[in-house]
Amino acid sequence: MTKPKGEGEQHQWTMVIDLDKCTGCAACVTACYAENNVPVVGEEEVSMGRHMGWIRIERYWEGEYPDVRARFIPVLCQQCGKAPCEPVCPVFATYHSEVEHLNIQVYNRCIGTRFCANNCPYIARVFNWFAPDFPEPLHEQLNPDVTVRSRGIMEKCTFCIQRIRQVEEKAKMEERPIADGEVQPACAQACPTDAIIFGDLLDPNSKVAEVARSRRGFKLLEDLGTEPAVIYLKGGDIYGV
Amino acid sequence: MASESTRRDWQEGQEAALAHEEQKLREEVLLVDPRPRSEMNRMVLEAVQRITPGYIALLVVLGLITLVGLFFAWGYQMRWGMGVAGIRRPVFWGMYIANFVFWIGISHSGTFVSAILRVFKAEYSRPITRGAEMMTTFSLMVAGLFPLIHLGRTWRFYWMLPIPNQRELWPNFHSPLMWDMTAIFTYLTGSTLYLYLPLIPDFAMGRDHMTGWRQKLYRVLALGWRGTEEEWRHLMTAMKIFAFVIIPVMFSVHTIVSWDFAMTMKVGWRSSIFGPYFVVGAIFSGVSAVITMLIIARRSLKLHYFIRTEHLESLALLVLIFSFAWTYFFFNDFLVEWYGGERVGHEILTLQARGPAAPLWYGMLFFNILVPWATLWNKRIRRSPTALFLITLGVNIGMYLERVIIVTGFLQRNRMPFDWGEYNPSIVEMSIVVGSFAMFFFLYMLFTRILPYVPVWEVHEGQLTHRIVRFGRAVVTARTNVD
Amino acid sequence: MSNKGITRRQFLQGTAALGAAVVASGCTINLKGSEYLEPYVRAPEHALPGESVWYATTCRQCPAACGLLVRVHQGRAKKIEGNPLHPVNEGKVCARGQASLQVLYNPDRLRWPVKQRARGSRDFTGLHWNEALNALFEKITATDPQRIAFLGGEMPDSLLWIVEKFLAAIGAPPPVLYSTHYAWEGRRVLRAVNRTLFGKDRLPVYDLANADVVFSFGGGFLSTELSPVHYNRAFGRMRGRQDRGGPRGVVVHFEARLSQTGAPADRWIPILAGTEGLIALALGRLLLDMGLARNPAVRPFYAGVNVDEIAELVEVEVGRLVDLAKLFGEAERPLAIPGGVVAAHTGGFNAVLAVQLLNVLMDNLGQEGGLWLAPNPQVGGLKPETEPASLSEVQALVDRMKAGEVDLLLIDGSNPAYSLPATLGFPEALAQVDTVITFSHFVDETAVLADYVLPVHTPLESWGYQVVDNGTDRLTIACQQPVVQPYFDTRDMGDIFLFLAQAIDAAREVLPWQNMIEFMKSRVAVLQQLGMEGNFPLDNEADAWVAWRQFGGWWTAEPTWEAPQLVWQPSQATGVTAEFEGGTEYPLLFYPYESIALTDGRGANAPWLQELADPMTTGMWRTWIEINPETAKELGVKHDEVVKVISPYGEVEAIVYEYPAIHPHVVAMPLGQGHTDYGRYAAQRGANPLRLVGSKTVPTADDLAWLSVRVKIVPTGRKQKLPRLESTVGVDRAREIGFPG
Repeated sequence: MTKPKGEGEQHQWTMVIDLDKCTGCAACVTACYAENNVPVVGEEEVSMGRHMGWIRIERYWEGEYPDVRARFIPVLCQQCGKAPCEPVCPVFATYHSEVEHLNIQVYNRCIGTRFCANNCPYIARVFNWFAPDFPEPLHEQLNPDVTVRSRGIMEKCTFCIQRIRQVEEKAKMEERPIADGEVQPACAQACPTDAIIFGDLLDPNSKVAEVARSRRGFKLLEDLGTEPAVIYLKGGDIYGV
Repeated sequence: MASESTRRDWQEGQEAALAHEEQKLREEVLLVDPRPRSEMNRMVLEAVQRITPGYIALLVVLGLITLVGLFFAWGYQMRWGMGVAGIRRPVFWGMYIANFVFWIGISHSGTFVSAILRVFKAEYSRPITRGAEMMTTFSLMVAGLFPLIHLGRTWRFYWMLPIPNQRELWPNFHSPLMWDMTAIFTYLTGSTLYLYLPLIPDFAMGRDHMTGWRQKLYRVLALGWRGTEEEWRHLMTAMKIFAFVIIPVMFSVHTIVSWDFAMTMKVGWRSSIFGPYFVVGAIFSGVSAVITMLIIARRSLKLHYFIRTEHLESLALLVLIFSFAWTYFFFNDFLVEWYGGERVGHEILTLQARGPAAPLWYGMLFFNILVPWATLWNKRIRRSPTALFLITLGVNIGMYLERVIIVTGFLQRNRMPFDWGEYNPSIVEMSIVVGSFAMFFFLYMLFTRILPYVPVWEVHEGQLTHRIVRFGRAVVTARTNVD
Repeated sequence: MSNKGITRRQFLQGTAALGAAVVASGCTINLKGSEYLEPYVRAPEHALPGESVWYATTCRQCPAACGLLVRVHQGRAKKIEGNPLHPVNEGKVCARGQASLQVLYNPDRLRWPVKQRARGSRDFTGLHWNEALNALFEKITATDPQRIAFLGGEMPDSLLWIVEKFLAAIGAPPPVLYSTHYAWEGRRVLRAVNRTLFGKDRLPVYDLANADVVFSFGGGFLSTELSPVHYNRAFGRMRGRQDRGGPRGVVVHFEARLSQTGAPADRWIPILAGTEGLIALALGRLLLDMGLARNPAVRPFYAGVNVDEIAELVEVEVGRLVDLAKLFGEAERPLAIPGGVVAAHTGGFNAVLAVQLLNVLMDNLGQEGGLWLAPNPQVGGLKPETEPASLSEVQALVDRMKAGEVDLLLIDGSNPAYSLPATLGFPEALAQVDTVITFSHFVDETAVLADYVLPVHTPLESWGYQVVDNGTDRLTIACQQPVVQPYFDTRDMGDIFLFLAQAIDAAREVLPWQNMIEFMKSRVAVLQQLGMEGNFPLDNEADAWVAWRQFGGWWTAEPTWEAPQLVWQPSQATGVTAEFEGGTEYPLLFYPYESIALTDGRGANAPWLQELADPMTTGMWRTWIEINPETAKELGVKHDEVVKVISPYGEVEAIVYEYPAIHPHVVAMPLGQGHTDYGRYAAQRGANPLRLVGSKTVPTADDLAWLSVRVKIVPTGRKQKLPRLESTVGVDRAREIGFPG
């Protein structure tokens, strides 16, 4: 991890997803749709593979009947420290924020080359194939803090950067450090089992730093060297029955 | 006396045989079969003016297909969104990029046939350089459209240009797309100038021999060329510089296009061999396309005098050589992927060999390896325009399939099996693809009636420096070096 | 106005008064067709431009009554978050709860009252509320009270309380409540079993968070049943113990199909649907035989249990059963949880009993990590007396309707035309009713068969309270308040009935409140009378009224759940297995389950829920049928092929999903689709598996036995791609070669 440049408080926003706790309930998915104005694209588009969710619960099967098991892995943008999506964008629509240690997607810079999406090993990016449709009055539910993306633009999970910024600004105004747990992305906030834990890894006393030290921890496609900011904790097992 | 007469007979016979040899050679080799310059001028200028009703009709049809198939469909796509194309997650790139790579490949023809052969003094290429160079320029124009068509927000394409703006943003030169754009722009500029330079004396010739709008046009384009010693010297120097400079540009263009893929983290794409593999593939398809177009042009423009079987045969040999080279690279890439044992790589190979993409893959192998290898070793086939026409067309079909597989096939498999995908091009995509072919043929056909198809002065120059000489009983062409 | 009758003129005066009351209470009447500019000075309450406000309220998407905090920005609800203080969900919220927003802002909501020209014509004429309320009032007063019927669903307790008092006052029969969801979670059976075992008619609460070995029998406490957010929360705690140095909680799941609740379990033991009770019997017997039972008092129950026979029947080896019994018996804090499917067949009562007896055997009643009884909700008279109806009661109502004994049918919170088993013949019965009035937000299947639809406020616009009846350790009176002004020209259902009551003397006496605000305020006094220590002081009524809304409810400071006391005299176990209808021509057991997104169909009009990938199949937007790949091979069907599913009661079409984790003799289908109406997102997609289910009942509990039919599968030869998130090819390949690792 490189020492961050610039002034002000530094954070290493990190998400820990405990696969032993994930029940696949999909509360995070809907929370993300609601918070980030993710459009619903309809049956035909979904059938083509144009689902727009920023977080998806991947379900893998293991074994054969009757000893078959299902494994859930919620996958979202891993906010890589060395993100493959960043260097390939010709217009800096995706770039690395040195302050938040996040991959930023700037919608109004994006021209839609989709190079970033091709180069993302996690297939975490989704593209606005068409303009989103929020038939009246569904538009009333749109989150005013998040841009509604139009057609031709790439998007992805932002770790709910609007919430991070709000808390940062509030803490700055009140001249205090950000408390652990104060920043909650919509998915972590909704997660009924607390399988998703979010916080600042640079704060050694934070909950996220504590669980990140777990022996069960691993990162997705770690060998690629992308340095993800999402840490997964392996699911457990029992023996003898 | 008998011996005297026998000797004379023998000598006559010898003479006749040699004359026959000479005659054959003359028929074969354009440069030792000189005709008066005025006649050659006439042939070329007649070809330019060969505007038949069939030609007009075809041009109109192609123009309409271009307008509707390419530009209307493109507009429709811009209005409603990229979704009208068949691309989807995870196949974010589709036919547009495959087409782009294909047309960039075709563009290698002109430079290779013209510049490389010129640099290496392959004299036979003199009459066919123009046709090849035209292919380069027009296929580059078509190719250049595809990255724009492919953009989600085409109307913002200029954000990739390094122009000062109030956002104080410079383009990201880390992105292979920026290298791409730079390379293509350089190549297009270079190849257009390279097409234009040898045209200047021909424009001047046309200006001096024609009337009407062509004369006015040629007067402008000839830049006041009068054929002085000084002018010739400048032209020759410029052409030599361009011929040398355009070659690395050509190599760089297709290498950089290959880097759009090779620089990524995608299994199958990330490969150190992609650069030369793409360049070889491009020349393979480009030279094949030159043969195809020469056969068409020779017939329709009645240029049998200039474009001879020797040209087709030599180029066909090149095709065979590049088929070998392409196969070598293909096999290398395949073997490394297969032997390396990476799972996703295996899945891609499996997809090609047994999946829904299998017909494309086997089609590629058939057209690119089997057909050229089985036929082009045979001199008779190499000398048959019909056979060559079909074979070279096949090569380009094969190379097109290769591009489709590399772009759309490889993207269907990735490290997250949950998110594998499939891809079928939509009607809009196919329409744009068809439209792009129409656009190329439209431009090419249009310009065969505007630009002299054969550089007469180069042929003339060649004929001045070549003659037939006899070495004992051998009849060979000799070349006087005028450089 | 002393007589029971009321003149039209008097009523119209009253209507005007209601209008005034509504304005006074901060709501606006947006008359259809009129538009006016909203001046800045009349900004919505607490709306500061650019600033968000969070209002606490209660979720109405299912009966669990989770506490919500709704983010409101410029007078519009933006995001639903969990109320961190609330004892049920502790700050968390499920997908369905979050989709409440899409009920509120659904583009297909009815915007004003309508009258239908002819039933089924879908030709609706808009009415002014005055007209609509007049019509309602005239129908109620003009009809013989005995010939009035009220069919409800999952109504909030506040509303049900008002409605039952109203109906009683005018002399009408009490409301009949039916909800598919209640039947699927086995609510009546669970209560009946608790009544039998512990003598208390309450729902169980499982201390999942502190259990260390959990045996889950069928169903879905993590999906839709009882209080899913609460149990998810507890599940997280149970698993989280390993990070705090404690033992990792272990779950073994017994079910015919690996459900979403079963997926995170450590072991899934596939058994034929309807044999969960047998497993429980065998395990109980083994616990006793192995001397692991901590409370052998119920030994007589297991007298006739033969483990070997059961092992053969359920196709689980005896050795494995012994291992399982050992795991359970040796655990420090074992816990057995029966799911809805255990209760859903003719042997359901006995099967649930057998599962709960495992808890009795392990003596975890009222222990940490054990079985508890929910706090008594019947305190202070806040809980309505009407309980969810048994199927016989619903049948009786339908019979009355068929016999022409009902002239006026009022329907609220329920869509019986969609959800009642077809064999009951509800639509035909409806035809015999003179006037049908529904209070739906949407033109649903029932509204299409009604004469009037009076659209009421959606939950986020309404007042109410709910006495939480399970999913928490303490008595909780959840408060529901409007978080936004009514978006359309709708009325609060409570206001309507309180208003009607004002015009009817007998009703006015029991319902003296002008509107819901007054009514809700009056409940604070009732809370005071409870005399219990709670999350805020109740001394000052005005302060308590504010606090009740701010906290999103009132709950006791200390746990008030009760340790169950065994009052049951053990008798030998009988009939724990299911009986199925349909002979040998129907070879497959039919297992319909509640979709985690659409529940029993109520979520089908929310685009978020339609496009929410099912956790197990990742399917969406359509109805699929889950078939074991081996069975599919035998039937000659593959993924994405359309098949006819035929039961003795009907047939539907569904898309095949080769589900690797389902018993080969069982096929499963999610509920929720197959709507003919109910808005653009719901109508005309998928199939309604309720059409295949008969109307057998669970003995003792008298609830719908929805696990009681067999089906056959007939290929149609057609293909239709099931919209799904997964790449079937990729996932299969990953299973074959074991990556991504």
